[in-house]
Amino acid sequence: MTELERALVALGRELDIPAGPDLRSRVRERIERKPRRRRAVVLAVALLTALGIALAVPPARSAILRFFHIGSVTIERVETLPHAQERSLVAGLGPPLSLREAEKIAGVALVLNAPRPRRFYAQPGLIATLLHYRGTSVLLAELQGDQMGLTKKFAAPGTTVEPAPIGSFGLWLEGGKHVLMWSAASGEIRQMERRLAGNVLIWAEGNRTYRLEGGLNMGQMVELGRQITR
Amino acid sequence: MGRPLDESDLIGRARRGDTHAYEELVHAHQGIAFRTAYVIAGNAADAEDAAQDGFVKAWRALGRFREGAPFRPWLLQIVANEARNRRRSTGRRAHLALRAATEQPSGDAAPSPEASLLSAELRTALLAAVNDLPEDQRTVIALRFFVGLSEHEVAEALSLPEGTVKSRSARALERLRASYD
Repeated sequence: MTELERALVALGRELDIPAGPDLRSRVRERIERKPRRRRAVVLAVALLTALGIALAVPPARSAILRFFHIGSVTIERVETLPHAQERSLVAGLGPPLSLREAEKIAGVALVLNAPRPRRFYAQPGLIATLLHYRGTSVLLAELQGDQMGLTKKFAAPGTTVEPAPIGSFGLWLEGGKHVLMWSAASGEIRQMERRLAGNVLIWAEGNRTYRLEGGLNMGQMVELGRQITR
Repeated sequence: MGRPLDESDLIGRARRGDTHAYEELVHAHQGIAFRTAYVIAGNAADAEDAAQDGFVKAWRALGRFREGAPFRPWLLQIVANEARNRRRSTGRRAHLALRAATEQPSGDAAPSPEASLLSAELRTALLAAVNDLPEDQRTVIALRFFVGLSEHEVAEALSLPEGTVKSRSARALERLRASYD
């Protein structure tokens, strides 16, 4: 080892690197959740199969597709939409924040392989930002794990739902307006505004659920989604 | 009292779903996992998340772990990848700093041979030079000398050929020599 290399080793001992936390209990808690995750995956695969059948046989759609889960998002077909208003894409997400502030509140590091906007929004377990793509605004929201849930209610046949080729699996909602609600993992509905939502792409990848909403078609939205997680 | 389990025993048990065995592996490697994540991500919060997520992902991937292979480089590859994703997602460059003087070990004990090797000015200059290195070179130097990984482990952690690690290391040392000499 040269003198410079020894100096670097010495420098390493002088660095302000905090002692790491004891991760055992948190890791254990997470890995012991695995059986439930596995069941959830089996359920999701079964539902995906059911969805495929439903979409292939139009008369079966309304009979089979009642609800669907992707990661932290639940999509539910209802006869009548709950009352909701047209509101801005970021309504209910809180004030605009810096990325650092948003990640701190969300507890989620944003994944975004694209030029970064300057404003971000956060709720515990969720981070969001507005992107500008192909001349329109698109809301990107990312949810980590299953700490928080989004519920989307739609009324058939106004809204079409179909599989989207992105992530481990994805869904595309287009057409009639649907209602977006936010809920905590406990089931408690958070104090957020319900609002009507437009075209939406939702997909799961790893332990994260992504949601894009805006006035793009499915091809454009999938293109944007793939760019984000590239 | 039974003999302490060695790592391959623990891995074998963990692969069969024994979370207690895996907890022992976490205990054994969490320090170096956190330090690896810290020098890449540049802050404690991201490093903690990266290390934690890395351990969880490694647990899920244990079925693909090659029996008999060393666990540490395999684990650090997962952790380093998590840390790089976080650094990319924030768009921030990792920047290492020296401990404040008051936090250094005090008392009458003589400084260690390594500590006495560097004057305060030289430490500051050398660290500034490390922080100014291109990201790919800085990461190799940090993992090699600040975390204490071998070149082989650095290559594994960064998913790079060992030759690439050697050449990046050589280029970085050449640049640093100018600050040190």
